[in-house]
Amino acid sequence: MDSIIPQLLTGLAGASSLFLVASGLTIIFGVTRIVNFSHGSLMMLGAYIGWSILTRLPRDPEWFVLGIIATVLATALIGVLLEMVVLRRVYRAPELFQLLATFGVVLILQDVTLWIWGPVELPLPRSRWLRGFVEIAGNRFPFYDLILIFVGPVVLGLLWLVMNRTRWGTLVRAATLDREMVAALGVDQRLLFTSVFALGAGLAGLGGVLSLPNSSANLHIDLSVITDAFVVVVVGGLGSLPGAFVASLLIGILQAFGIVLVPKITLVLVFLVMAVVLVFRPNGLMGRPQAEAREATVAAPVVRAAPRELRILGGIALLLAVAAPFFVGDYYLTVLTDACVAIVFAASLHFMMGPGGMASFGHAAWFGIGAYGAGLLAQWLGAPMPIGLLAAPISAGIVAALFGWFVVRLSGVYLSMLTLAFAQIVWAISFQWVEVTGGDNGLLGLWPPEWARDPSVYYWMALILSVAVALLLRRALYAPYGYALRAARDSVTRAQSIGLDVARLRMVALIIAGAACGLSGALFAYAKGGVFPTYISIPHSVEALLMVLLGGLQTMTGPIIGALVYTGLADILMRSTDLWRLVLGTVIVLLVVAFPEGIAGAARRLWLRGREA
Amino acid sequence: MLSVEGLNTHYGRAHILQGMQLRIGAGEVMVLLGRNGAGKSTTMKSIIGLVRPTSGRIFFDGQDIAGEEPHRIARRGLGYVPEDRRVFADLTVMENLEVGKQPAREGMRPWTPERLFELFPNLGRMRDRPGGRMSGGEQQMLTIARTLMGNPRLVLLDEPSEGLAPVIVEQMANAILALKDEGLTILLAEQNLHFAGGVADSATVVEKGRVVWSGSMAVLRADEAARTQYLAV
Repeated sequence: MDSIIPQLLTGLAGASSLFLVASGLTIIFGVTRIVNFSHGSLMMLGAYIGWSILTRLPRDPEWFVLGIIATVLATALIGVLLEMVVLRRVYRAPELFQLLATFGVVLILQDVTLWIWGPVELPLPRSRWLRGFVEIAGNRFPFYDLILIFVGPVVLGLLWLVMNRTRWGTLVRAATLDREMVAALGVDQRLLFTSVFALGAGLAGLGGVLSLPNSSANLHIDLSVITDAFVVVVVGGLGSLPGAFVASLLIGILQAFGIVLVPKITLVLVFLVMAVVLVFRPNGLMGRPQAEAREATVAAPVVRAAPRELRILGGIALLLAVAAPFFVGDYYLTVLTDACVAIVFAASLHFMMGPGGMASFGHAAWFGIGAYGAGLLAQWLGAPMPIGLLAAPISAGIVAALFGWFVVRLSGVYLSMLTLAFAQIVWAISFQWVEVTGGDNGLLGLWPPEWARDPSVYYWMALILSVAVALLLRRALYAPYGYALRAARDSVTRAQSIGLDVARLRMVALIIAGAACGLSGALFAYAKGGVFPTYISIPHSVEALLMVLLGGLQTMTGPIIGALVYTGLADILMRSTDLWRLVLGTVIVLLVVAFPEGIAGAARRLWLRGREA
Repeated sequence: MLSVEGLNTHYGRAHILQGMQLRIGAGEVMVLLGRNGAGKSTTMKSIIGLVRPTSGRIFFDGQDIAGEEPHRIARRGLGYVPEDRRVFADLTVMENLEVGKQPAREGMRPWTPERLFELFPNLGRMRDRPGGRMSGGEQQMLTIARTLMGNPRLVLLDEPSEGLAPVIVEQMANAILALKDEGLTILLAEQNLHFAGGVADSATVVEKGRVVWSGSMAVLRADEAARTQYLAV
């Protein structure tokens, strides 16, 4: 019993930090409809900038406060730059491309931060007043945590006043409801968006600098914070400030008690709560159904069979691929094998995302489940590779069916967020359940049998499997099932009214995608000789998204081209420069700005234009 | 005051406006008549800039505004009242009016909430009610009032009588006439010929995105053949 009050207070302090980040994220989403992946990076910058400022100031409380204000202003300014240079150019792009662009920003900011502040984490030397304790109900409680607890509600109150008592706030709330109408009434949206972004970035910066005394400025803040903030925003309801506050309290307290009571599954617990909330309240605790996009929507182009010329080109590429082992070295064979894996990985995501209309932020989950399925089977039963390669899609398919049962009814962003949550659960299990999964060390010694150990043989096998999967997915896409799936994507109500069982269609798509992806995971595991939790990491999920979106959603060729381009690009970049994240991030941002329909989509448009001319 | 010349607008591949044209003088009330899908709403959205026309010119006070951004067009003094009302459901009546507020215009008496409540007395009795909890007629009045807060010189009114009870339609007609007396220029899209006849000076009939008839309201009233050909359902 003794530990309840201090634990509660710790939870409340954590909740305040969460709220600072989540509130900015939710305000930005409300107005711009952009899920800002780089919001965690802004918090990270806040921590680093705060460190640089605070370590140069005297350590008195008044200087501390001044330093915080300076940090908030600096991050707000960075937010303004970000909005004007990147986001402003992608407001008209599809939702997922915006997400991709903000992920590009994450990569860029990672390297910029590394370059400026170096890889070592930077703790803030704490002056005496920051280290003080206060006695509450017989427990000594850190003074600084009390300040944090206080900051959350104060910020909520201030935001409420700004939103409800100023013209700016009224305009922001109106734009959240219908930004097109706001523009038609003479309000300059650009100014509104930039200022909203500045506010959100400033709040993230505040969260970052306030986190310094309890932890440090480090390079892991961005992705860990963005995951937590996503959870809070989704649980609270996208766009709702009070929702974000309540959800921060819920998650903060849950984390504080979870660490004491069930240290191993805290992460799982948090995501389970999110899943439960979304099942009962699909729009979050205080969210409302997403308004239909108030813009002239243009129907998605129909996925068409590739033109004859492209088939010939594909045939030539395939012949070259088959002949590759005769004229490239072992190193390139590994890269080519990775490319085959990437093709299956990307094509399976494309299947649920393009024709299925279900974007996944956690596609790596299936990849990991397949890999662990094969790995565990080998470890427990000594199952040989062919069995492992068969078990991988089956295990991933079964888990996909279970997961699908409660997500196929969710829509849009929420479904994507749940896929992310699910992937994090799988990751947490693989990372924390050391007895079974080997934890961080992974499962080792997973090698192909004698006959397939030669790199060229393994490569040929991977090539055959990837081509087979791609052809099967293509077959499904042009079967009546594929047409029904696309009908369900384009209009749920119309599809239902002609008798299609939308939930079942999507469920099947999820199972197919999960199973195919599981196979790619096992292929990869045997090629590398082991299974590791990093297979399921967020960056790996994002890689799948990158490949699909780079290639374009509209064509079946898209994910394949995307996978090849991405694998090649990553290989060249990682070998030639230490700043590969910076380069990759910049390439992503430029690609999104230049080709919002992906490489294959742009090529198709140019091709068609060439034909018409 | 406003003249539209050879306007073409596409939605994707669909060619909606096919050489649309019209001309309204200052202080005039013109009605755009036509069946569903004729292109009335698209004409209005193209003028205010919510839909970018593919080609053609739109002159407002002698300046070509085609392709400009909506907020710039609105600030020039063009007000737009959308067909489906689009009140901000979470915002109160007063807040909805606040969003529409723009600086006063020279030579015009600026609109204030108080003046608007004289025009629409119902609204004055529900200043703090959220837009989402108002009846259709009240919402329609609120959208018009909200647009007037921008002190426009020309108002595009898209089907203000649609779906309203006859009593409210009557009030709406009176309000439009009152606005006309204020010297406002109005372009009205309508399917209700009776309603249009009560307020408009001139009429333009559109069909499949182009003008098929235009002239004064009095002539249209006398021209039964044209009415049957273009407007009878």
